[in-house]
Amino acid sequence: MTMKGWVVLALMGLWAGPSLPADAAPFTFPPMEGWTLSGQPQVFSPETLYDYIDGGADLYLKYEFEELTVVEYQKGGMSVSADVYRHRDPDHAFGIYSQERVPSAEFLTIGSQGYYERAVCNFIQGGYYVKLSGENTGADDRDILLRLARRISENLPGPAALPRILAAFPAEGKRANTEKFIAKDFLGYAFLHAGFIADYDRSGQKYQLFVIVGSGPDDARAMLGQYLKQSQHEAPTAEGPYRVKDPFHGDVALFWKGKHIWGTLHLADPSLRAAYLKYFEGLDDR
Amino acid sequence: MTMARRDFLKSAATSLGGFAYLSASLTRPPDAPEKFEGTRVLGKTGIRLPIISMGVMNTDNPQLVRSALDAGYVFLDTAQGYQRGTNEAMLGEILKDRPRDSFLIATKASLPKDQATGKYGPDATEEAYTKKIDTSLKSLHLDYVDVYHHHGTWTKDATLHEPILEALQKAKKAGKIRSIGVSTHRNEPEVIHAATDSKIYDVVLTAYNFRQQHGADVQKAIARAAGAGLGIVAMKSMGGNVRGAYASGQIDARAAIKWVLQDPNVHTIICGFTTFDQMTLDMTILKDLTLSAAEREQLRQASAAANLYCQGCGVCVGQCAQGLPIPDLMRARMYLHGYRNIVAAQDLVLSLALPREVCGDCGACPVSCTNRWNLKDRLRDVVRLRAVPAHVVA
Repeated sequence: MTMKGWVVLALMGLWAGPSLPADAAPFTFPPMEGWTLSGQPQVFSPETLYDYIDGGADLYLKYEFEELTVVEYQKGGMSVSADVYRHRDPDHAFGIYSQERVPSAEFLTIGSQGYYERAVCNFIQGGYYVKLSGENTGADDRDILLRLARRISENLPGPAALPRILAAFPAEGKRANTEKFIAKDFLGYAFLHAGFIADYDRSGQKYQLFVIVGSGPDDARAMLGQYLKQSQHEAPTAEGPYRVKDPFHGDVALFWKGKHIWGTLHLADPSLRAAYLKYFEGLDDR
Repeated sequence: MTMARRDFLKSAATSLGGFAYLSASLTRPPDAPEKFEGTRVLGKTGIRLPIISMGVMNTDNPQLVRSALDAGYVFLDTAQGYQRGTNEAMLGEILKDRPRDSFLIATKASLPKDQATGKYGPDATEEAYTKKIDTSLKSLHLDYVDVYHHHGTWTKDATLHEPILEALQKAKKAGKIRSIGVSTHRNEPEVIHAATDSKIYDVVLTAYNFRQQHGADVQKAIARAAGAGLGIVAMKSMGGNVRGAYASGQIDARAAIKWVLQDPNVHTIICGFTTFDQMTLDMTILKDLTLSAAEREQLRQASAAANLYCQGCGVCVGQCAQGLPIPDLMRARMYLHGYRNIVAAQDLVLSLALPREVCGDCGACPVSCTNRWNLKDRLRDVVRLRAVPAHVVA
């Protein structure tokens, strides 16, 4: 559909245009000296995101996508497409970002975190996920994209910090930038809701540590109960360590405390498993 | 390796070894007799594959993919763009330890195009697309893929973009891809017809579902393509905006999948499951494709809720005091909201000899619609297109 087409739909009241939550600060694209914006920003809602990224929209919707604003900066034959995705909260923005980031990229201190690869600069800040892609930007590609990224970051509301829970993951052995937030169906189970997970590689052992976050202690107990029930175990009676013989993931060590359930995946060493279960006991339950 | 259908169904029902034996028959000639209803031949590619396949795009869980392959899923669908290439990379790690003849894989890529017109610019070159193909193969750790889709086109022009077709044909000749495909999520009939007429494409991957507003046109295009020998892979069985319902159980995903597979021209369907339960559940469809009365009713209600597709039953014709061509106007409304094709919608409205005041003097609308639609509101909605200047729409 043409831009005029979108305008017609909007005028006819057939297309739900951008909607900001009452407490959301309006975002505007910053000027870049020597560059012009090609027309008005295009805005996509959860209902129309398919029109922009086709089937890729599914994953964004899973991460509570709310709105996308797109503009193109142009200068001579160069152009930079700037896509600003707004998600429900910083955790979900980090979640979709973590699905797409490449651990081997050049990471940057833009917003909460960003990275650069040839013709691409992506970063998150608060509930926003910003994706810049350059076209014909030549040898100055990195400089152009980073300059624009910093300008956009200045215009965005929201804290420039990663989800606090990531700091709880032990640093030793952790593979850099492999942390993810999984918004739904954690470990492939609908009943496990959302969680954080990171890859580890220590002394030749490759394994994962995770923290599942419930809405409260009752929710965490219910999740653990379903997981145990699936493995023919009895319902959890108290906070503490548990073991699950998972038909798909193998032997899973767990610990339930408050609204959190943490554990290890694919880690055979029992002493290391026990150490990790203890390590997370200091997790802030707020 | 052979297996009686009854034995197969028994094993599928009792274990996750459902169609694990199929790998040996992946290249069975298309004229070979089917031993059971669980497979179809992907058109002229000659590939026999299970009617249920896995769309990997929504998961980053390698264990789910491994389990699906172990359970007997054979055909995996991914794309270079999914998770910015990490989806292909994840599959590469999983697949590198598996025999190449134990799975089939399709991936896809596009080049930047004008989002307003759907057309490619001068940068959409053969060289650029060849790089895309090579990048996919590198990420997947494979020498070849079974299908490479020209991804996400919605116009005839883009579907037939010469440089991309050149790149795909050369890649096929070089053995990097076995079949050339095209994927489409909107304006599907135009893309499918273009692919059919091109004589170049082997496979079409298309959105196809029970609540698609223009489903009848998609069905016809699929039938024509299949008749010409193209393999047909369906996706988006739940319709674009009801993914949440899949998880919450408001709509039975199996019913939606079965609805698509009622069409014998669809050779397999991509299921985007994200849990082990869904993986197992989708596989049970192999046992029985029959839609129960309850499932049909559920789909009918959900389809009516989509509110756009006029069945063309004709019950309304003759009931309207003004003699309005209601099915035509509902079709125009479908063009507007479903296809989002304002030009076609306005052209159709203007081609109809409508009175100046549509529904003007009518109080309660006397027309009874089998979809139980409020026709008065819908008619007033669509005839407003008459007032939109043509130069704004074009």
